[in-house]
Amino acid sequence: MKLIDIIIIAVIVLVLGGAAAVIFRAKKQGKKCIGCPNSDSCSCNCGKSH
Amino acid sequence: MKIALVGNPNSGKTTVFNMLTGRNETVGNRAGVTVEKKCALIKKLYSGEQEITAVDLPGAYSMSAYTAEEHITGNYIKEEAPDVIVNIVDAANLSRSLFFTTQLLELGIPMVIALNKTDINKKKGTRINCEELSRLLCCPVVETVSTRAEGLTALVAATVRQLGTEQPTPFPALAQLPQGKAADKKRFSQVKKLVAQVETRKVFTKDRNAQDRVDMILTHPAAGIPIFAAVMFLVFQVSQSWLGPVLADGYTFENGFTLPGLVTLIDAFKEQVSFLLEQAEANPFLTALLTEGIIGGVSAVVGFLPLVMVLYFLLSLLEDCGYMARATVVLDPLFKKVGLSGKAVIPFIVGTGCAVPGIMAARTIPNQNERNAAVMLTPFMPCGAKLPVIALFAGAFFKDATWVGTLMYFAGIILILLCALLVNRITGSDPKGSYFIIELPEYKLPDGKRAFRDMCSRGGEYILKAGTVILLCNAAIFLMQSFDLSLQPVAEGMADTSILAHIASPVAALLVPILGVAAWQMAAATVTGFIAKENVVGTLAVCYGISNLIDTEGLEMLEGAGTQVAAVFGITRVAALAFLMFNLFSPPCFAAIGAMNAELKDKRWLFGGIALQLAVAYTLSFLVYQVGTLITTGSVGAGFSGGLIAVLVIAAVVTGLCLRRKKL
Repeated sequence: MKLIDIIIIAVIVLVLGGAAAVIFRAKKQGKKCIGCPNSDSCSCNCGKSH
Repeated sequence: MKIALVGNPNSGKTTVFNMLTGRNETVGNRAGVTVEKKCALIKKLYSGEQEITAVDLPGAYSMSAYTAEEHITGNYIKEEAPDVIVNIVDAANLSRSLFFTTQLLELGIPMVIALNKTDINKKKGTRINCEELSRLLCCPVVETVSTRAEGLTALVAATVRQLGTEQPTPFPALAQLPQGKAADKKRFSQVKKLVAQVETRKVFTKDRNAQDRVDMILTHPAAGIPIFAAVMFLVFQVSQSWLGPVLADGYTFENGFTLPGLVTLIDAFKEQVSFLLEQAEANPFLTALLTEGIIGGVSAVVGFLPLVMVLYFLLSLLEDCGYMARATVVLDPLFKKVGLSGKAVIPFIVGTGCAVPGIMAARTIPNQNERNAAVMLTPFMPCGAKLPVIALFAGAFFKDATWVGTLMYFAGIILILLCALLVNRITGSDPKGSYFIIELPEYKLPDGKRAFRDMCSRGGEYILKAGTVILLCNAAIFLMQSFDLSLQPVAEGMADTSILAHIASPVAALLVPILGVAAWQMAAATVTGFIAKENVVGTLAVCYGISNLIDTEGLEMLEGAGTQVAAVFGITRVAALAFLMFNLFSPPCFAAIGAMNAELKDKRWLFGGIALQLAVAYTLSFLVYQVGTLITTGSVGAGFSGGLIAVLVIAAVVTGLCLRRKKL
């Protein structure tokens, strides 16, 4: 395998891993709708009863 | 130390909360924007070394809770007993606000009054004697202008001073009275006396002023709706046709200088990466995954950012100047005519930003059946996430993009009206006695800074979504499109054998009556749209290998003008319109379905709502495609028989449900 291919794989893993990590962290903080314009305004509680 | 921000709706509680904590919670120039409590630490700038948590509570008019959000406020104050209550009082509506204030003072919790919006009083020549008010109410009164953060330092200082003190009851006789109409009357008369002692006015409520005259036009039962349509058309014209595309594609000046747009920059970046990887003789599959799957898919969604941000900016200006509150008044009689609660207007308007808070805003409706109907129908309003989908189809298939966006909003309103009739017929609801009272805010010059901040916040969230959920989906779509079922790479031109094609094909068959072709790419876009509606754009970009979906001139140059642009997607303009409507009015994203589940509290309502949305979207898009094809070509489109059977089954089920209710 060429060095450039290893670099690309590393970049892809980094990007996808980073995205997954952000989602995981947001979920852990209780955010249900990642990237929702109103995610700060509503705790959402999707699936929970109020 | 914990302080609770309490007051009437639209008194400026959330603005105070945002200013004190640095948060950017949604604020609105009307009642009912906040429906849940929110907590955050106050900035050191105001609190110094002391750690103070501010709790923003939904607005309430009295301690006798009437709606769900008033319950939240009442319960919080009674059960969680904050250290100090900060009562935000609208200085321009003192007599109305003090009713609740006098009730709060009877709880024995130390209190500070923030006399907010004093700038409006100064303009009108109204004067309030704060010292006298403070003496009469036995608590500190601080003048504030929350929008400009004026008086907040003094407010926090007064709050800290109140900690641990005993709060006397200013009117003990009132506190002794049992709750009821007689007690309320006495309280009102006490408040009236109190206001007369501290307030001097130049302008009286009964005086008709210029604002009232403007309101007579803007909220006129006949003229109000065309004005609302014209305003929305203008908003779309600016965001989708004038300013948005310039920011996205760039602008070439007369002297030949070109200011690059966001899409141009992203394209240049993508091309540069492709070029460098080709030069380095990198693996073609890895190169394609990075440039087409990841960069291409995300950039297709991010490319619409300028259009979306301009739209958010304009809507924020409309909200701030007071027009959106008038729009609710204009729409209210329409909704009432079809048996919807008058209060349902608020969820529908909030739903244009995001369906989740829109659905939650339905809590302001006291009747369960009326509330459920509003929750089920709110997702019909196109939310912010659907804007890129509208912009994509309007730009790629229709030269005049503006009417498409406006049409989708009004189609959403019409669907709400029709479905409300249907839901009431099925459930047997009769909300004739419902009412809708809204306090119209003063007209004012919109705060550009606040609108800009709001726009940036929403833009940031949009990028976050594109860089996380959309990115992962696009990568998955690319991988599923690149391999066949035996996990072998798909040969060029054989995409139909891919995993994605196999998964999406059954859905594609169902979409033939609304598309005219079995396009698995479109089906895949629809399915990924349930994760997030922006995914429709990202998936189409990855499947068709086009990352610049905004530069329609470029597409036209590439594929030929007019209907030939459709060749990129392999569908006609009529089919594009039908597909767009199907994606907009079919069930919303999973997050919104989760919110529906939480608010409806009954699985029958939830599944009924999802079935209704799916049936309406399918029937509407079927009619649009088949009737449109009949008009444009003289014969019905492909899949007519199958689609007709599906629509007839839907009609039979609905009729059966209506008849069953009649028998009951």
